[in-house]
Amino acid sequence: MNEVILELKNIHKSFGNNTIHSGINLTLHKGESLGLLGGSGTGKSVLLRSIIGLEQIDKGEILFSGKRIDHLSENALIPFRIKISYSFQSGALFDSINVFENVAYPLFEHTKFSYNQIKDKVAKMLKLIDLEGKEDLMPSDLSGGMQKRVGMARAMILNPEIILYDEPTAGLDPANTLNVVSLMQKLKLKGLASIFVTHDIPSAIMLCDRIVVLHEGKIAFNDTPEKFQNSEDPIVKKFITSTKE
Amino acid sequence: MIKIIESKIESLYLSTREFFIFVGEIFGLLFETLKCTVTGPFYFSRLMEQINHIGYGSTSITVVIGLTMGLVMTLNFGYGLAKFGGTLYVPAVVSLSLAREMAPLFTSLLVAGRVGSGIAAEIGAMNVTQQVDAIRALGTSPVRVLVVPRFWSLVISLPLLSALAFAVGILGGMVVCKSEFDIVPGFYLYKVFSTVKFHDYMSGLVKSAVFAGIITIFACYKGLKTRDGTKGVGLTTTWVVVTASILILVTDFFISKIFLVIW
Repeated sequence: MNEVILELKNIHKSFGNNTIHSGINLTLHKGESLGLLGGSGTGKSVLLRSIIGLEQIDKGEILFSGKRIDHLSENALIPFRIKISYSFQSGALFDSINVFENVAYPLFEHTKFSYNQIKDKVAKMLKLIDLEGKEDLMPSDLSGGMQKRVGMARAMILNPEIILYDEPTAGLDPANTLNVVSLMQKLKLKGLASIFVTHDIPSAIMLCDRIVVLHEGKIAFNDTPEKFQNSEDPIVKKFITSTKE
Repeated sequence: MIKIIESKIESLYLSTREFFIFVGEIFGLLFETLKCTVTGPFYFSRLMEQINHIGYGSTSITVVIGLTMGLVMTLNFGYGLAKFGGTLYVPAVVSLSLAREMAPLFTSLLVAGRVGSGIAAEIGAMNVTQQVDAIRALGTSPVRVLVVPRFWSLVISLPLLSALAFAVGILGGMVVCKSEFDIVPGFYLYKVFSTVKFHDYMSGLVKSAVFAGIITIFACYKGLKTRDGTKGVGLTTTWVVVTASILILVTDFFISKIFLVIW
C-alpha cells in the first residue's frame, strides 16, 4: 500500500442542532480512488468541503501529507488548495467567462507561464476531456455533462495530488455518465488520488479501490468494492437496495 | 412577568450582538480589501473592466440626472428669489448647491440603485451557484478577485461621475437662466466660478469617494453572504439599495458638517 496522503481523524461537524459528522476517521493513500457513498444528507459533500477548508470542522484533525490543515487561514490554505482540487457537482464554472478562461484561471493565478504556454496547456486539457476546440464557448452554451467535464479540467490543470469529485455523474444521461467516468479513469491511470462522492454504485465499483459508506454521521463500511457488493451489513444492503429502486 | 423581561433582555442582547458582529464584518471586509490592494497581486485589467462597466456605463444616466437637477433647481430658485429681487444670486446658489450637495448626493443615490444592486446581484448569484466557493477552492481570494476591482473602480468613477453631473447641471442652469431670467451666459459662468471655491469641489469629490466605498463594501458584503437561491439574490439587492441609500444620506450630513467646520 502506498503512503497515506490524506488523513481525517475524529471529524465532528454540526450545523446548529443538526449533527452531520460524529467521529469520522479516514485515510487516503497515494494513487488510491476512494468511493464515498451514503444516503442524501449524510454529509458526503460536507466532508469534501471540510477537507478543502470550505467548511470549518468543529472537532478533529485533517492532515495532508502529515501536515495539519484544518485550522489554517484562507491564505495559508492556498498551497494546499493547489494540491487538493475540488470538482463541484454543478461544475461551478464562472459564467461570465468562456471555457478557455475558466480552465486557464488557475494557471493565470498560480503560475508564471506565458499566454501561449497556457493556451497549449488548456488545449491539451480540453483534448483530454473530449472538448477540443470548444475554448470560445460560454458555460451557458454547454450541456450539464460538458460543464462538469470543464469543471474537472479546471480542477486538474495544476496537476494536483488529490482530486475531490462531488457527484460528478449526478443528473447525467448514460452517455454523459460514461464520458465523465472514462475521464476519471484516465486521471486515475495518471496516478491521481481521489475521493469520489456519489450515489452511482456501478461507477463507484468500476472506478474505486475502496468504498466507504457514511451513515448517521459515522463510517458504516470501509472496504474493497468486492466486499461492498457481497456485504451482509444491513446498512450497506439497505443502501444498495434503495439505490437500485 | 420575570420570564417576559428575561426573554426581552435576551432578544435585545442577541440583536445587539448580531449588530456588532455585522459592523465588525463590514469593517473586516473593508480592511481585507485595503490589505489585498497593497499586498497584491492587483488585477489591473479587472479594474479597467469594472471602470468601463460601472463608471462609463453610468455616464448617460448621470448626464440625465445632472441636467434635470440643473434645470429644476435653477427654475425653482429663480422664481423663489425673484420675489425678493434676488434673481442675480441664482447662479451662485445653484452652483454651490450642485457642487457641495446635489451632484454628489443624487449621483451616488442613483449609482447605489444601478451599480450597488448590480454588484450585489452578480456576487450573490455567483455565491448561490458555488462560483465563490470555486474561487476559494482554486486557491484564490474572493475579496481580491471580486471586491478589490469593484471597490476601486467605483471609488475612482463616482467622483468623476459627480463632477460630470455638476458640469451638466451648470449647463442646464445656464440654459434656464438665459431663457427664463435673462441672465447672460458670461455673467452666469463668472458667478459660478467666482462662487464655487476649491474646498467646495473637494467636498463633493470626497463625499462621492466615501459614498462609493459604502456602496461597494455593503453590496459585496451582502453578495458574499447571499443564501437561499434566487429568492436570496432578490432580497440581497433590495437590502443593498435601501441600506446604501440610507447610509449615504446619513453620512452626507456628517461629511457636510466636517467640511463646514474645517473649511
